[in-house]
Amino acid sequence: MNDNIIEITGVTKRYRLGKDNYVNALRGADLTVARGEMVALMGPSGSGKSTLMHIAGCLDRADSGEVRLGGRRVDTLRGRELVSVRGREVGFIFQGFNLIPTMTAVENVALAAEYAGVSKRDAIRRATGLLELVGLGDRMRHTPTELSGGQQQRVAIARALVNGPGIVMGDEPTGDLDTATSEEIVGVMRDINTDQGTTFVLVTHNPEVAEACDRTINMRDGVVVDDGMALFTEYRSA
Amino acid sequence: MGVVRNVFKRKMRAFLTIFGITIGVFALVVMGGLAEKLNLLVDGGVDYYKDKVLITEGGSGAAVLGSSPITTDLVAEIEAIEGVELASAEVGMVLDDDPTAVTFGIPPMIVGDDLRWLEIPDAALRIADGRELTVDDSGVAVVGADLVAMLDAEVGGTIELRGETFEVVGIAEKTLAGTDTLVRVPMADAQRLFHATLPAALQDVLEPETLALQIVAYAADGVDADELATEIAASVEGISATGPEAFQAQVVDSMAMFNTIIFGVALVSLLVGGLSVINTMTMAVAERTREIGVRKAIGATSGAIMRQFVAESAVIGVTGGLLGLGLGWLTTLALNSAGDASATALFEVTTRLALGSVGFALVLGVLAGLYPAWHAARLDPVRALRYE
Repeated sequence: MNDNIIEITGVTKRYRLGKDNYVNALRGADLTVARGEMVALMGPSGSGKSTLMHIAGCLDRADSGEVRLGGRRVDTLRGRELVSVRGREVGFIFQGFNLIPTMTAVENVALAAEYAGVSKRDAIRRATGLLELVGLGDRMRHTPTELSGGQQQRVAIARALVNGPGIVMGDEPTGDLDTATSEEIVGVMRDINTDQGTTFVLVTHNPEVAEACDRTINMRDGVVVDDGMALFTEYRSA
Repeated sequence: MGVVRNVFKRKMRAFLTIFGITIGVFALVVMGGLAEKLNLLVDGGVDYYKDKVLITEGGSGAAVLGSSPITTDLVAEIEAIEGVELASAEVGMVLDDDPTAVTFGIPPMIVGDDLRWLEIPDAALRIADGRELTVDDSGVAVVGADLVAMLDAEVGGTIELRGETFEVVGIAEKTLAGTDTLVRVPMADAQRLFHATLPAALQDVLEPETLALQIVAYAADGVDADELATEIAASVEGISATGPEAFQAQVVDSMAMFNTIIFGVALVSLLVGGLSVINTMTMAVAERTREIGVRKAIGATSGAIMRQFVAESAVIGVTGGLLGLGLGWLTTLALNSAGDASATALFEVTTRLALGSVGFALVLGVLAGLYPAWHAARLDPVRALRYE
């Protein structure tokens, strides 16, 4: 089994903003993440960290370069295959929680499993187990508006985990939370990372989040400038 | 479940959109109910004229009750013609001469005949309560289903017909056709009542006992009634004979035009409702762009997004359709019962009309949802997630 769950080499991405107005979001970015790692992806706004995360998570497609998840090329995938990889191999957590407002906590979590083809009954069973895992066993039937920000993000974490993905990608997962809640959420993710070996890639501006991770990857102007790998190798062999 | 909740999340908008469909289906049900009732009358007519030839006084050619009288002596002459199974004489007149009574369809009538047709199997009307007339009866009546309320008739009771009192011996079963507005009395009674309506000059010349308005000739098995009509017209002097084809030409064909106009008007109002569904669903897609991005990020295929929005718009269509059907149906019931006193049941909401109108609303909802759903399905997830 390949030890690197994410291998990205020379990825470029250009967005068109208007007529003859382009922005080069990625200009040949490289990124390697080992299975079971928890990494922070940092950098100033516009450095391309979100774009890199979207490409790694099969939410977006690179213009050029190679993307491998668990050793499998995914940059060549299209349509349904891409959706399938995205749904089963990757879980997403967002800054604004992004739960479906008309659904209860357990339905929100189960929805992702249903999209992956799991029967409604099994999806609900899985969702129930995961909500208990993130400490929301008593909030199953609440809708998002009846939950605090921290609770909503726990539901989102459970949703990201429901298809047993190898990787969870977080886009500013603590961006809308206060310091204490932010610590709690990072703690939940750290526990899952330790107990289940799920890989976490967290795009963040928050140094405290980065500190809780195994290593910090820094981006600037569409390339990775420091991936902290040397430090991690040292930490691992120690 | 999620589908229904999404539809009703924006209550006011959902209500207005559904109301648009409701009005369309309401119009379809009420106007369609009118058309269906007339269709049933016409079907009843087609059925009635099927194996018969109507013989009336010559000249006008139209087989309408109320033309000049002929005599019952013709019955034997017509029955002698080959291909005629049996001939039966009839006298009929409107129940009420009141010119202010506005009627639609077939006006209430008093009809008397010699009851010879009782010998034809299946020709008899079904009696819901009481009994059929017999040749020995006098001063009695069988009342059509739609006239019961107007005449306040019950078996064993009495009714007034053109100033004379008749005992009600039977109530006919509802046929939804023209016979629902007939009061049937013995031939001699009808002849006497009819004789009294004639101008004084004619009253002196004509004997009530031989009066008839039309003679119905029943075609024998395997004999074409239209051909028989031609033959009767050729062999008997001074009469006009009409077969089933004439009724077809006069009524059924013009009914087709009437149906087209009625359903056309109702469909236009439904299409307007359909446009408002498109509008609502397009707004729903724009409003929920971010949600669509999230759904795609957690593994929804474009097909799943498409199905979701089409299902939501189908729910709007069906809800509007059911409300429209309910409202329309209640309206026709109310109008029919208001018309009971004058025996003018104008509407009949048939099963095919009910199923058809709700089915149409469903199809309309699905079609109206297709474009917005397609638009939602092809949203780029990254852009959708960034959408504020």
